Amino acid sequence: MAASNQSKHNIVYFEEPPTKAPPLLAVGPLAWIRDNLFSSWLDAILTFLGIAFIIAIITTFLQWSIGDANWFAVLFNMRQFMVGRLEVLAEWRVAVLVLIVAFASGLAWAAWSARISRMVIVATAVIIALIFVIPPIISAVVPLPGAYLVAGNQSVSAGSLTQVAQDQLAFVGRSGDKVTFRIADEIAVNDQSLENLFSFSDNLANTLRATAATGLATHVRIDEINALLASEDLTERQRTNLENELGRIEPPLTVTETYSINQLPVLVRVLEGATLEPLAEATLEPGGDVFSVTLPSDGWYVVEKTMAEGEGLAILDTTGIYPILHRSFTRGEELGEGGEVVSEAGRVEQFVRMTDNYVLEAPQPSNNGTDIPYSTIIEFKYRGLRPLGDYLSLFFGPLLAMLSTPVLVIVIAIALGYTAGLLADSLFSPAEKPRKASQQSATWLLIATPALMFILVAGVGDILPLTDPRRWGGLLLTMMLTVVGIIGSFPIGVLLALGRRSSLPVVKLVCTLYIELVRGVPFISVLFMGALLLPLTNPALSEVPGAYRAMIATIIFSAAYLAENVRGGLQSIPPGQEEAAKAIGLNGLQTIMFITLPQALRAVIPALVGMFIGLFKDTSLVAIVGLIDLTGITNAVVAQTEFLGDRREAFLFISIIYFVFSYVMSYVSRRIEASGAGAAMAKRI
Amino acid sequence: MSESLVEQGAVTQMADEPIIFCQNVNKWFGEFHVLRDVSLEVMPKEVVVILGPSGSGKSTFIRCINRLEEHQEGQIIVDGMELTHDVRNIAAIRREIGMVFQQFNLFPHKTVLENITLGPMKVRHWPRDRAEAKAQELLNRVGIPEQAAKYPGQLSGGQQQRVAIARALAMEPKIMLFDEPTSALDPEMIKEVLDVMKELARSGMTMLVVTHEMGFAREVADRVIFFDHGRIVEQGTPDYFFEEAQHERTKLFLSQIL
Repeated sequence: MAASNQSKHNIVYFEEPPTKAPPLLAVGPLAWIRDNLFSSWLDAILTFLGIAFIIAIITTFLQWSIGDANWFAVLFNMRQFMVGRLEVLAEWRVAVLVLIVAFASGLAWAAWSARISRMVIVATAVIIALIFVIPPIISAVVPLPGAYLVAGNQSVSAGSLTQVAQDQLAFVGRSGDKVTFRIADEIAVNDQSLENLFSFSDNLANTLRATAATGLATHVRIDEINALLASEDLTERQRTNLENELGRIEPPLTVTETYSINQLPVLVRVLEGATLEPLAEATLEPGGDVFSVTLPSDGWYVVEKTMAEGEGLAILDTTGIYPILHRSFTRGEELGEGGEVVSEAGRVEQFVRMTDNYVLEAPQPSNNGTDIPYSTIIEFKYRGLRPLGDYLSLFFGPLLAMLSTPVLVIVIAIALGYTAGLLADSLFSPAEKPRKASQQSATWLLIATPALMFILVAGVGDILPLTDPRRWGGLLLTMMLTVVGIIGSFPIGVLLALGRRSSLPVVKLVCTLYIELVRGVPFISVLFMGALLLPLTNPALSEVPGAYRAMIATIIFSAAYLAENVRGGLQSIPPGQEEAAKAIGLNGLQTIMFITLPQALRAVIPALVGMFIGLFKDTSLVAIVGLIDLTGITNAVVAQTEFLGDRREAFLFISIIYFVFSYVMSYVSRRIEASGAGAAMAKRI
Repeated sequence: MSESLVEQGAVTQMADEPIIFCQNVNKWFGEFHVLRDVSLEVMPKEVVVILGPSGSGKSTFIRCINRLEEHQEGQIIVDGMELTHDVRNIAAIRREIGMVFQQFNLFPHKTVLENITLGPMKVRHWPRDRAEAKAQELLNRVGIPEQAAKYPGQLSGGQQQRVAIARALAMEPKIMLFDEPTSALDPEMIKEVLDVMKELARSGMTMLVVTHEMGFAREVADRVIFFDHGRIVEQGTPDYFFEEAQHERTKLFLSQIL
């Protein structure tokens, strides 16, 4: 009937009518700018304010980061941040774990994501090449900052303290290093030049600089008061106050005039650290040449600097002497493959050269039984506003050098995983499901990864020696708590959600009670219950390591929240779904497993991932019950005497780590939402 | 006759015995009396169209037949099995009855093929190959063989409803229930669904159809039943029903929709 009706019409449009291009100003970047940034005067103001705000934030941060921040606090504790105090022998297992995760991500990428474009490959290659190329370029182009050392026999008084220069200073050198010395004539011209003594400097040099700076500031104030007193419009009272203030100010000494700095020759000797055999010596004359020594081998050296004659001080400008960090810790007995003792248990003293992370375990040099002081990070601080060059050579270059190999290896593992996925698909996947093989293998690998994580980190029986859970820490512990928390709470949470929707009143009551009780209590008190209350019920529980108790507390806590999210998803499924499932004969369990639960979980992916991100960050609370997760280890790091004031650097660093992982989680969740049926389900009918 | 049927239990049906037998079925939603003493017999291969105004209980009635709704009084016997609280009976009866809903109720997270194969594989325990072959055959039959790999959300309403029919048929049911299958469709798509239903009727399927499509009722139905206020007001062949209906309520209904 319809067909016969159609033939009676005179005009039938078989083709789409032609389209016209839109006007020039309706599309394109100009239109975008006009429409989005400057569509009204209020928008324009907000745009400019926003841009100004962003610029202000970035410049403030960069100024602090380059000029002021002590990134040694981060560079030197990288291991702590990553794995805490994990046994050194178990480190390779963490590395293997990271590679497995990287491989699994590559495989998952091949299985579910778009094919990698040529541009991404090129960009990755360029970035890795840059990571490898930049550190050598920096060290070739920008020399490491030198250090100012004071020599001499004149004592310097600052306030109530009197300081004298150290005649001997130990430092760590490496074979081929060039150490140079010269008298820093340009620094000691007058107090103004002394005030600019920045870079590494020993305490005495810093005292001289600080005294000069204070003196100059006092002179400025005296001149100011005098200028005010000279004017006519002061009241009597003001005049008296100013005169009183002037009377209280002691006219400061001029440093360069008080001490005889850089007037006399200095005898410099470089000694071999262990034997104190002199390697080279020279007498430096004011205005004279540079004395340079090339070190023959790795190890301790001592520089001896004394006045050749007379009484005076000299500020030496040196290169090749860098601050050292002393680490002292207990190392357990370590066994090799055949069970023989590789290293004895006991205290280990390590001396780390900060500029290149070179670790020396040789004992500190001593002279007739007295330890020779060495250039520690505390004594030998970087003072003053740091120029960009020093920032690059001290921090940026070493950071990239530290990252380069791990990044390369991880990228290779991802690439291998990706290639394996492509290969599996081309070999085994049927034509109608071209990614079946990679998807199946990626799923299995991702399921296996948490178990592998536990096996690798905790160890099993004889094959992998057990590690001590008390030593798990840093990012490793944070990740373990998060992964165990998510995986452990998932089935419990789903069961609780189903139970709360159950038609059996008792089941419903129990589930509701659990959920509401746990949700009504802060995470921190659940942690404390796990850490402190549980052992009271049974003393044997106090033997369970804190990490495990924290994991159980995490599972208990997040299961309640997960249950509520899943319940929300279950409620959003239209009742017709369940009816249709019943109508084709599925039983209750099948209906839940195949119909309602998959849809409910998919519907609440954003909420679940939001919860998981929250959980990841909330694990930082375990620091309060004494675990050394990422936050706990940061508290420990900034409590070290060497890095006592460096909270900002350490916490900024872990914030970046927390952010990167949270962002990855949220990115993956968006990919899952958009995958498979997700695109089609967006317009559910 | 009803007594003897109950006694026979699950004995195989004879051709002249009803495949659906309902006697004095009553149902309440709370205080509201939805079904009042509904009695109906449907013979194998019969196509019964149920008409009636909104809220007359016709949908509730056919949903009682596969126990999506529970009746509180009376007797419903399908294919020789009585619907009681016995879960095994309910499961067995649901295997023999396919149902098509007004809102399609396809599973949006599964592809068309998975929607169709789910029942046979999970309930009848067919191997995947057999289920998929059957699904492909049914997709051919409903005219959309090329949509197997798509998700329901990517199909038009008419296509979705045809998938829903294929999904119900995949269980190889003896009876098909249609609950207003074309009411949620655009006018252009109604025809493609009705064509499938007509073909199904011609192939000898026992069908119970709740619909407002008078053309379909006239052309395909063996019997038309008119429901109002939870009871059967009048029934008869389409010719009788549309030309010679006796009851005032039926006449009023027909005068308003024809």
